Formats: sequence, structure tokens, C-alpha cells
Amino acid sequence: MAGSDHLSELHVTGRDVPAFVGRPGPSAFHRLNPLTKATLATVTAVAAVVLGGLIGPAILVAVAVIGPAIAAGVLGRLVRTALLLSLPIAISAFLVNLFFLPGAETVLLRIGPITATAEGLAFALEILARIVAISGAVTLFYLTTRPSDLVVDLERRGVSPRVAFVASASVQTVPAMVERAGQITAAQRARGLDTEGSVWRRVRGILPIVGPVILGSIAEVEERTMALEARGFTRPGRRTLLWAPSDSTAQGLMRRGLLLGLLALIVLRITGVWP
Amino acid sequence: MSLELAGVGYRYAGAGQPSLLDIDLELPEATVVGLAGASESGKTTLCLVASGLAPRTVGGRIRGTIRLDGEDVDAWPMHRLAERIGIGFQNPATQLSQVADTVFEEVAFGPMNVGLPRDEVIQRTWDALDALRIADLAERDPRRLSGGQQQLVATAGLLAMRPTHLVLDEPTAQLDPAGTRLVADAIARLAAAGASILVAEQKTDLLAEVASRVVVLDAGRIVRDGPADEVLADPALPELGVAPPSAVRLRRAASAAGIDEAVLGTLDG
Amino acid sequence: MADIAVEGLAHVYREGSVRALDGVDLRIVAGERVALIGQNGSGKTTLVRHFNGLLRPTEGRVTVDGGDAGSLTVAHLASRVGLVFQDPDRQIFSGAVRSEVEFGPRNLGRRGAELAAAVTAALDATGLSGEERTNPYDLGQSRRKLLALASVLAMRTPVLVLDEPTTGQDARGVERVRAVVASATAEGRTVIAISHDMRFVAETFERVVVMRAGRVVLDGTPTEAFAEANREVLRSTFLEPPLSATVGHRLGLGSTPTDASLLDGLRAKLAGG
Repeated sequence: MAGSDHLSELHVTGRDVPAFVGRPGPSAFHRLNPLTKATLATVTAVAAVVLGGLIGPAILVAVAVIGPAIAAGVLGRLVRTALLLSLPIAISAFLVNLFFLPGAETVLLRIGPITATAEGLAFALEILARIVAISGAVTLFYLTTRPSDLVVDLERRGVSPRVAFVASASVQTVPAMVERAGQITAAQRARGLDTEGSVWRRVRGILPIVGPVILGSIAEVEERTMALEARGFTRPGRRTLLWAPSDSTAQGLMRRGLLLGLLALIVLRITGVWP
Repeated sequence: MSLELAGVGYRYAGAGQPSLLDIDLELPEATVVGLAGASESGKTTLCLVASGLAPRTVGGRIRGTIRLDGEDVDAWPMHRLAERIGIGFQNPATQLSQVADTVFEEVAFGPMNVGLPRDEVIQRTWDALDALRIADLAERDPRRLSGGQQQLVATAGLLAMRPTHLVLDEPTAQLDPAGTRLVADAIARLAAAGASILVAEQKTDLLAEVASRVVVLDAGRIVRDGPADEVLADPALPELGVAPPSAVRLRRAASAAGIDEAVLGTLDG
Repeated sequence: MADIAVEGLAHVYREGSVRALDGVDLRIVAGERVALIGQNGSGKTTLVRHFNGLLRPTEGRVTVDGGDAGSLTVAHLASRVGLVFQDPDRQIFSGAVRSEVEFGPRNLGRRGAELAAAVTAALDATGLSGEERTNPYDLGQSRRKLLALASVLAMRTPVLVLDEPTTGQDARGVERVRAVVASATAEGRTVIAISHDMRFVAETFERVVVMRAGRVVLDGTPTEAFAEANREVLRSTFLEPPLSATVGHRLGLGSTPTDASLLDGLRAKLAGG
């Protein structure tokens, strides 16, 4: 039957599959199975929230984010991207807690009617550490995993190709939408839409931009759907895979270990055994 | 293997009137049929209906019969039709799957979807790339190619399904002259190799070059169907909203000015 | 009425070190009809986006109507230079044709009778008079393109820039565009169009500027641009002259970029013996 050999030896690029298909990543960390990297990211993010204090998350960031980032050679990009992702939230969370923590008393600094407190600072730093850990973990995964690696791996494990596709394609939509929004903004500015004036003007300017972004995206989705269906996308069942990311028993054990560790951590925290 | 539309009509969901009426069209083997007509005359709708996307994916109501090699395809699901009739669209970028990092994987997408054995997927992919002379693009990222190249990749993706018919809806509409030339040459080569193609185009010069037969639509009906040279030289074309090919136009202008057409010589435009 | 002067213009997009424009000098006088041709990536779009301030020069200077385009806001320049984008769906946002066309002139401060007149005239010129309350997405693709054109026409700017106005248009649509260009220049407006349609270019414009790799490689009348001597230059940018020019060359009639000039050439030759 069609597709009978699509499960065999997928981790080895066969003689006939061109060598450039399923290129392995540039570092050992890149070459880890996507599920392993996803587990690491998730466990790191959740553990950062669960752990108390400042030291815990800081160590977590060092070991589970910075360390692997250095090994994978993506530290620079990681810092830039994670900052971009988290800066707005980080700044507002930090400031809110620094100045407005309820019940805080030890005054550090007064600026007019608002006061920065020592307790506020401590809490703000803790929040900051968590935000850094979460955005760092997610960014690390994003920078070292190609969407196609993840999709193919999920499919190999039995996820429907259509579901896997939606997951991957959704991520890809974001840059396309951003680019589209940029073009639409340019077209509307060319018709005199003022994006450099007062705040009120700029708010009024949102509809002429958001409208075409959404309508256009919808129209594009229709076109894409037709093109996919024209290539047999809706056929039920699994599809043939040309390659798949490798996995190993060791990694399987590592994933289980990480998850169990996280579970243990949660239990310890809930029962109050560990501060 | 011929594709026949008999008495076909089609109305989009929620539309006040039908977009296609009384369409009788036969698309035989090894023929390139050009489809011309003013904007909104129904060219795209006819392409969607011929490929089965209408009504299956697009919705709406169809009447009449569509037969592939004598068999009524009304009950066929889309993925089964996709293996027989490939359809390409104007916009090169939206036809890319977005999940392929290389042109090779992009072209292999269709065969992979239908679950063919791996060897066959690979064979068909190389065959399709060769047919369009883009094997040298196999390693490239499809998203970074020019519009014309992307159209060729999209067409290769269709060919890899080994369809009996190709339907191309204004493949050069969004391309620059270099891209248009690439696609026109590719269609000519496919035709020479015996492909059955229905190609809708505003560029009648292109149709003059590659089509042996031309069908003209007007308000959803077929108003002309005959050999390409005859139909493209029909004096009623401008009224029907179709610009005649440059060669035809020049000859007509010459004789209208009282100059013997023969003076122009052979116009291979 | 506005002149445009481009001096030593270079532009580098932030992402890379590709010089999208590599030293362009150009002067367009008020009322001229100029066609800008070249392959995708030759810099045509980059160039025209400097005229209304969407892009700022990396080097060099662009002067529009006496003002430095590099330092004026886009909102201000929009009153001098109306730019119609290629894809109408990246612009249309209103639920009705009339309000879509009103958007541009409203932004420029037009109201009341003046606004109504501008909108009505623009709708007439593009053949959309009966469709004022129609939803733009109920118009076909090619009429939406005409709608995008109408919405910029209504702004009554002294300079009109059209990006690929005939792409995706059928024969009637092309005629409409041609008529719009003619009436705009009759009013003294400058019209600049980017186009791939060589026949449209030869028949509608008095000046052809050919770009390649960020530079101007040819600048002259259609007769000059499509002359036999320049065939290689055109070919290097993968452009072919219109059929009438090719036939004219073959028959030894000199440069005949339009049907009319070809016929004139033929008559002259036949009369001459």
C-alpha cells in the first residue's frame, strides 16, 4: 500500500533523498530532537515560575538558557530577540512593583507623589528574573529549531499532518502579516494618513491599516487553502515523509527526567518543603 | 484522457446570479487551450470549476456534468481530483506550502501528501524539476526566489502529481517581463512534450504563442471556441473586452490604413 | 505645479548592504509624462517612494516642488505627490466606494462642495460613477484597481505616480488608465508610471527612463529608447521593445515604437519607391 515504507529509517538520509533535505543543525544542541528542546523550554519556563526567590530562577537561566545558548552559538541573537520580546512587559512589571507594591514600607526613593520601596525592589527583581527565564527559554527553542523539524517530528509520532501543518504555518504567518501591515501603512500614508502627528490622529489612523491587514489576510488564507487542496492536502491519513529529525533513547530518558523533576519541584513547593 | 464539461453552470454561494452558464468544453489530450475574456467574464471561475475546487473547496452550486475520461467526477473528493487535475494561480507566493525549506521539498509536497512510497516521491520530484528545467534550484529556499521562479516551482509542484490536465489561471499576471518569458517558455515546452493545458491569460500574445485552440468567455458564457489563429484574429474581440495579439493588431491597422499587410512580413510576435 | 529633482540619490535598505539605488540623477519637469521601466529589483519602486517621503535618501537629495523631500513629512508631501500602489487590496478599507475615494482628499483637508466635486470627478474618470455605495470587494479585481486609482486622483495632486497601473487589467481597463493619464496631463499634472507593458509605455508616455541595478541606463523619448541602437541595453534588462518597433527595425524604417509611427514609416517608404 502506498506509504508503507515511510516509517523506516527516517533518521538516516537515504541514498536517494538529496543530502540538502533535512540538513542537520550547526551545533549539537541544534541537532537535539525538537521535542527534547521543547521539553527543556517548557520545563525551564514553568520551573522559573514555581521556584521561589531570585537565586533559583537566576541559576535556571544560567544553566538552561545561557549555557545551551553559548554551546549552540546563538547567545548574541538570543539576548537581542528575548529583549525585544520581553522588554515592554519587563519594564512595566518592574516599575509597577518597584513603586506600587501594596504593604511595602521601607522607602528607598521618593519621586514626587510616588515612592520606591526596598520590598518593591526585591519583588520587582524576582518578577524580572522570571520574565527573563521564560522569554529566554522560548527564544532559545525558537532560534535552534526549524519549524519544519518540529512539524515533521510531530507527524512521525502520529500527529495528523494537517494539525502539524497548522501549527507550523501559524508561526510563519506572523512575519508575513507584519510585512503586509508595513505595506498597507505606506499606502495609507501616501493618501495623507498622518502617522507622525498627535496621538489622537494616530489612533484614528488604525482602522485604515487594520482593515486591509485583516481582510487581506483572510483573502490570502482562501488562496492558500485552494493551493493546498490542489496538492492533495486534504487526503486523510498519514503522508510520506522524506526525512525526520533523529531521536535517541538517551534523549527520551532526559525528557522524562526533566518532566519528573518539574513534577517533583511542584510537589515540593506546594507541600512547603522547599522555600 | 479528456476532460469534458457538459452543460456546466456555476453560482458562487450567496451570489445573485450565476458566474458560468451553459459551458460545453472539451479539453482533449496533448492540447493547449487558451482562455480569454474581459475581467470578470468568468475565466477564474471556469478554472476553479474545471479543477474541482468549485464547488468542493469554494462552495457554491454547480450544475451539469464534468467527466474525466468518460467518468463523472461529481462524487470525487478534492484530493482524488488533485491527482488528475492540477491548478495554478496568479500569485506565486501564496502557492508555496510555507513548510518547505528547499524547492525540492516544496515540489515533493503533493506526492508526499498522497502517501506514495518514498522512492516514487523522489523520482517524481526530480522528473518535475527536470520538466521545468529548474533542477538547479532544488536546494534553494522557495521563499527567496523571484516571482517567475516561484511560478515555475508551483507548476513543478503540480506536475509532480502527474496530472492528466493542468489548469493555469493567469500565471503571468503578476510577473515582470523576465518572469513572463520564463513561464511562457515552460508552457511551450510542456506542450511540446504532450501536456494538456488550459491557460487563462489577458496576454493574448502569449496565447498566440502557446495555444492551439482558444476559447473566449463573455459574461459567463463561451462565445468563441476554435483554432487559435482564427479566434485571435476575430474582429469582435475588442468588443468582448479582449485585446487582439500585437501581430493581429498591426496587420489590421495596416490594412485599415490602406497598406498591404504583406509588407509587414511574417510577424512572429 | 511641481518639478521633481533627484541629485546623486542612493538608497540602502537597513537590512543589507544592497544599494537599491546607486547614484540616480533625474529631473522631471511639471506636466511631463514619464514611464519608468526595468526589471523587478532595478530600483523603480525605491525611487518613486522617495518622491512622497516614504523613503529617505541614504545619500543625495530629492527636491519636490522646491522643498527637500528628505525633510518634509509624508503627510505634507501627499498633497504634492499622489502615489497609487500596485495592489489595491493593500489599501482599500472602506465598506463603500465613495467613502474610500473620500479618504485621501479628506486627509488633505478638503470638505463640502470641493470634496464632493473631486470625488465625483475621480469616479467619472475611472468609470465607477454608478458604484458609489458598492462594497469594494463586490467589484472585481480590475475595478478595484481602478478604485485605488480614483482614490488618489481625487486628491488632485500636481504629481501622480502610478505603480503598475495596467497589470491585471483587461483591454477596457487599460484604455481607462490611458484616458486618465491623458486628462491628468491636460490639466498640467505630472504623471510618472512604472510599467512592464512596453506598448502602453510607448503609446502613452513622452519620456522613458530605463533602470537597472539601481541606476538609470537610458533616458529619452520612446523613439530613442526603443531604437535599434539601444536594443542591447534593453535586452540587458530583459526588456523587449513593442512589436511595432521590432517590425520597423526589420523593415529598415528607423525607430517606430508605436503603431502610428510604424504606419507612417511604411507609407513614407512605399511613397518613396
